[in-house]
Amino acid sequence: MFKMYSNKNVNVKLWKNIAIVSGIVSVLLCFLIIVNYIQINRWDPVNTEAVNTMVERLRQNPADETLRNEVRALDLMVRKAYFTNQWQVRIGGYITLISLAIMLISIQIINASKKLAPNTENTSDDNEFLLNGISRKWISIGGSALVVIALFLSFMTHERLGDTFRYAAKEASGEVTMPVKEQIVKQAKGSIQQEAKVLEKEKETITTDNTAKSTSKQDQAEPAVKKEETKTIEEKPKAVNQSISEFVKKERENFPYFRGSGGLGIAYQTNIPTDWDGASNKNIKWKVKLGLQGYNSPIIWDEKLFLSSAKDKFKEVYCYDKNTGTLLWKSDVSKINGTPEKVPATTEDTGLAAPTMATDGKYAFAIFANGDIVALDFNGKLVWSKNLGVPQNHYGHSSSLIIHNDKLLIQYDHGKSAKVLALSTKDGSQLWSTPRKVKISWASPVIAYRGAQAELLLIAEPTIAAYDPDTGKELWSIECIFGEVGPSVTYLDGVVYGLNEYASLVAISGGNTPKLLWEDFDYLSDVPSPIATNEMLFVVTSYGMVICHDAKTGKKHWEQEFSNGFYSSPILVGNKIYLIDREGITHILKADKTFEIIAQPKLGEEVVSTPAFADGQIFIRAVEHLYCIQNGK
Amino acid sequence: MKKWILIILISFVGFLQFSELYAQQRFPKPEFESGHTQPPVIKPEARAAYLEYLDMVVLFACLSIVSWLVLKKRSRAGVFLMSIFSVAYFGFFREGCVCSVGSVQNMALALFNNSYHIPISVVAFFTLPLLFTLFFGRTFCAAVCPLGAIQDLFLFKPVSMKKWLQSALGLIPYIYLGLAILYAATSTDFIICRYDPFIGFYRLDGTFLTFFLGGTFLFMGIFIGRSYCRFFCPYGVLLNLASKFSRRHMSITPTHCINCKLCEDSCPFGAIDKPVELKIKESRRVSIKRYSWFILIIPLLMFIGGWTTAMFHESLSKVNPKVKMAGILLEDPKALDEDRTIDLDAFIASGKTREELFTEAANIVDDFYIGSWILGIFIGLVFGLTLLRLTVVRYRTDYTPNRGECFSCARCMDYCPVDKSMTDYGPLTPNV
Repeated sequence: MFKMYSNKNVNVKLWKNIAIVSGIVSVLLCFLIIVNYIQINRWDPVNTEAVNTMVERLRQNPADETLRNEVRALDLMVRKAYFTNQWQVRIGGYITLISLAIMLISIQIINASKKLAPNTENTSDDNEFLLNGISRKWISIGGSALVVIALFLSFMTHERLGDTFRYAAKEASGEVTMPVKEQIVKQAKGSIQQEAKVLEKEKETITTDNTAKSTSKQDQAEPAVKKEETKTIEEKPKAVNQSISEFVKKERENFPYFRGSGGLGIAYQTNIPTDWDGASNKNIKWKVKLGLQGYNSPIIWDEKLFLSSAKDKFKEVYCYDKNTGTLLWKSDVSKINGTPEKVPATTEDTGLAAPTMATDGKYAFAIFANGDIVALDFNGKLVWSKNLGVPQNHYGHSSSLIIHNDKLLIQYDHGKSAKVLALSTKDGSQLWSTPRKVKISWASPVIAYRGAQAELLLIAEPTIAAYDPDTGKELWSIECIFGEVGPSVTYLDGVVYGLNEYASLVAISGGNTPKLLWEDFDYLSDVPSPIATNEMLFVVTSYGMVICHDAKTGKKHWEQEFSNGFYSSPILVGNKIYLIDREGITHILKADKTFEIIAQPKLGEEVVSTPAFADGQIFIRAVEHLYCIQNGK
Repeated sequence: MKKWILIILISFVGFLQFSELYAQQRFPKPEFESGHTQPPVIKPEARAAYLEYLDMVVLFACLSIVSWLVLKKRSRAGVFLMSIFSVAYFGFFREGCVCSVGSVQNMALALFNNSYHIPISVVAFFTLPLLFTLFFGRTFCAAVCPLGAIQDLFLFKPVSMKKWLQSALGLIPYIYLGLAILYAATSTDFIICRYDPFIGFYRLDGTFLTFFLGGTFLFMGIFIGRSYCRFFCPYGVLLNLASKFSRRHMSITPTHCINCKLCEDSCPFGAIDKPVELKIKESRRVSIKRYSWFILIIPLLMFIGGWTTAMFHESLSKVNPKVKMAGILLEDPKALDEDRTIDLDAFIASGKTREELFTEAANIVDDFYIGSWILGIFIGLVFGLTLLRLTVVRYRTDYTPNRGECFSCARCMDYCPVDKSMTDYGPLTPNV
């Protein structure tokens, strides 16, 4: 179609030669640059063999100034060579560019000297009507294709992005803390902490009616979600709700587990002293010397206080009269059916009796580092016992026991086969056992209530997970933690808080689609567990830091450093936090957004355990003694 | 010709290697215990303000010279030389920035974002070519625009394109312009600059995508003249419109067209309108019916365009950095602590909360919804008007440059045998 004819005014031959020469120069330079590039990539100027050898010699003879100067000179030369090489590449590049431009211009000039011959044949291209018709057809086809593709993609990717972000903003601001459906359930039932407030203030039993009233109030506050809320409530059997309330009420009247009812670090007792002194025995009601070693914390039911100890093959459970300190009985549980011959190796600061006991008011349960678990009645008689298998745990098993209805729940996250299991409190038979894909954990289980649903909350790398304590079924799980997890989780208003040293402090919404709400990395704990109340989260570290976070956002309200570290976990009593440092000084802090120390009474003895509480009394297990503190003594 | 193409390709590949080399990092500083103090890092000073005015002066001068060369001197050689100058100055020396093509976005941003202060040079680069086009046609495209000029250098073996294909592809710049304005108005991105295919060559540095796009356009440009200008350039949309109303426009012949057909295939850009003879006239009734029909469907096309694009607004909004970051944080709240990107670092440094970010992202998505409706309506209107235009056939007796699409490159002038000096003397004869 395009025929060319020559313009004689242009010296085509000359321009052709120029184009050829510049083209060859370009290709050659390109080749050289590529070779140079490969060479530079292979050559490490700061790691040449010659320099390295000389540097090694200089290390052996550091006083050799001549050699030092030689190294410098050689190093300088190598570096100069490198930069020279780079300069060559740069200049070579410019020359290539120029020669390429000359070649292009030459070709253009040659082309300009040739002209296209006209097309003398009439073709369909001359019919404007026909051409316009074809153009209209293809534009219509193209436009339609665009519409179809855009609609297809939009339907495929449609995700209500604006609404999602708006909801996420509300979540971030704390207006909502979990997906809508779970939020509805939460609002309807109220959190365990809210129930606790009712207990404390009104001294009333939490009944289904109360929950229903609360639901009614929430209905008024949230009309938009009323329909779904009602439906959710209907799904929950009332009997379960009632039994939860009764069970929890009894727990809270006592101090039956590590960190109290539910293991949440909250004591519901009143008239707790704030002033005592171990040296002068001020307000020390009684003090008794302890027997074998044990770092577990005391537990209390009615008038009885329980704790356990173990050393080598000897394991004992003690029961004291909490008012007098009298040892009511001591039970030797060293040898039970299935006790392994070999005592597992544990570290000095964990020992064989690190897990705190648990009681349901009828029996007291203790577990030891060799996997022995025992149930004793309140007279010290062994009711049942069994060995769960020696846990593979390089520090020693330390996860405490907790009870839900008639089930003794054990977090048994050890190296061989991590699991959580429930034993019948009556006879020790296994009710359920759920394997867990986690690493070894030293944290203790926590029970919280999401509406009427009890959740057994466990933390171990890599997850925080919730299980139904009645069935062992995993309710939800989220990968959010790592490392050798020591601190247990806590719970507030539907949010689970967990942390570990070198990992992070995380707030998890839980529920069907658990989400990480916020995370913090500044101060983390490897031993003490956090507590949460009234939109605040208190974190205590083993190196002496205490931090108050906004529970909804993670923002720090305050942070305070104490000179002694903490192994003991903090306990919230009313609006006070009782926190005992390793030197035995109890720091009584106001649970508030501003830091305030109420008192700092001294015990005068090292403490690593967490205190237990009864109305008007504190029980502290120090390394050597067990103390009861009460005003007026 | 084949061997030339081969030479060019080899050179081009080598050139890419060079650009990579140039971007290499230096090795670590020497660690001598000699007490030598490292000299402080010196930051290069900002470009002097007067150079900004120099750019404007050079632009004005180039536009004037090219307009003079095209309209008065009718010199293709002159235009070609100016192309080389533009590649050298606006391309390699100014590294492709400031650029009239990209200035559309600055103008849009300045209109929709009060906090953005648009530099005077950008305003000049946006308005001067438009003003010159209104008076003299697209002389800016002829030899001043570095993007067009570099493509001209690679145009060796032009092939003619089917008209329907040209018409269909010719709608892409409108869509690109609409998207560029949408993204600029929402402070999302300057997509014209981000996907400028030739910036990598001018800066001797760039991403693989940049070089790939540039290489593709230049390779295509060997056969398809100025493919970027014709089928992508968003600024070309405005110049096209302005050129249609230009006071003076270059003509193929200096006086009268003698229908010698010598220039018929001379335009590598298919911008010469051939004579349309009366003998192929269509029935008036059919023409009016079709015309009326297309007028009626324009509102429908606008609605379909608006609705479709509005449906697509979420995908469009995901380009926005804030929306993108909100999406990342929504998907993975731990993203702020793992594999942090520079954007996430910037977000942390801004001191904004997640709540603020999510709220802003939600508002941006809303803005995109409205913007997408407007964009879609615009695209629908363009499609409708193009279809309408294609129902009308204008009868011509001469070969004339299409005022909108002609780049005023003056190639066709060289083909015209008519000599201006001869027009006053009897019959004209071809000088070939």
